[in-house]
Amino acid sequence: MTLAIGMAVLAGALIGLSRQVNGRLSLAKGALGASFWNHLVGSLALGTATLLLALAGTRPDLSGLAETPAYAWAGGTLGVVFVAAGSWLVARIGATMTALLVIAGQMVSGAMIDTLCHGAEGAPLRATGVLVILAGVALASQR
Amino acid sequence: MAANGPHTASSTRLVHSFAALATGGLLSLMVLCNAEVTRNAGPLLGSLVPHATGTLAAGLALALLARRGRGLEAPSWAYLGGLSGAVTVMLSSMAANTALALSGTLALGLVGQAAFGLAADRWGLLGLPRRRPTVRDLAALTLILGGSTILIFGAPA
Repeated sequence: MTLAIGMAVLAGALIGLSRQVNGRLSLAKGALGASFWNHLVGSLALGTATLLLALAGTRPDLSGLAETPAYAWAGGTLGVVFVAAGSWLVARIGATMTALLVIAGQMVSGAMIDTLCHGAEGAPLRATGVLVILAGVALASQR
Repeated sequence: MAANGPHTASSTRLVHSFAALATGGLLSLMVLCNAEVTRNAGPLLGSLVPHATGTLAAGLALALLARRGRGLEAPSWAYLGGLSGAVTVMLSSMAANTALALSGTLALGLVGQAAFGLAADRWGLLGLPRRRPTVRDLAALTLILGGSTILIFGAPA
């Protein structure tokens, strides 16, 4: 359990680390350039891992890829904008505020998607959570 | 390294806030897409496919919009942000498959992000400016993480 907790916290810290590193790169290459390098290096690493696993006998599930609905292929393009925006923001409002405001946007939009998909079940609690988050955003946005 | 000018106007602050909120919304949609690839083709392709298509999209956008370098040099480690991102996907999907489940993994991930952010600002890690959090910043942190905890653990199963 301690290991699992450590992995989950580390995963969060790594999100911050990669944003910080990409933010530094964006100072030289621009936000879009940083996003390009982020995706290229990630592709090379994951491609190498896929290849090594295939050589070791674990083939990637390419037939599953054929069954993936077309909309899901947009994830990479959304990711480009996500990384570019994060790199741009972290150099301007700092790591803490970027993390907090992106988390807020993710949580609120997630609650909206949940309400659209699952209806009113649990809506009062969701509304409470969203209001508390928006109060935090309002506080953070005053300068 | 004063790459960012004096952004003190409150309107600029609002633009930043809206951009960050929209970025978070984008993340929700991105996770939805990538989870669908993972469901069909497994976690490795679920991360490789968006990274590869993202490389193409970013390369295309750069070719169309490119403003060449800004004269600032980047240290070579600055090109490795993608490695950290690739490891994140694997770590979080492993943690989500333990007793922590997705909700616990998400909540602890928020703690990790906030802690890293505070440390990075405090010491100006990795070449970005140092910043001291104000009381207002810490109050905002408490509200945003508190509201997120309500959403994460309050969701009907």
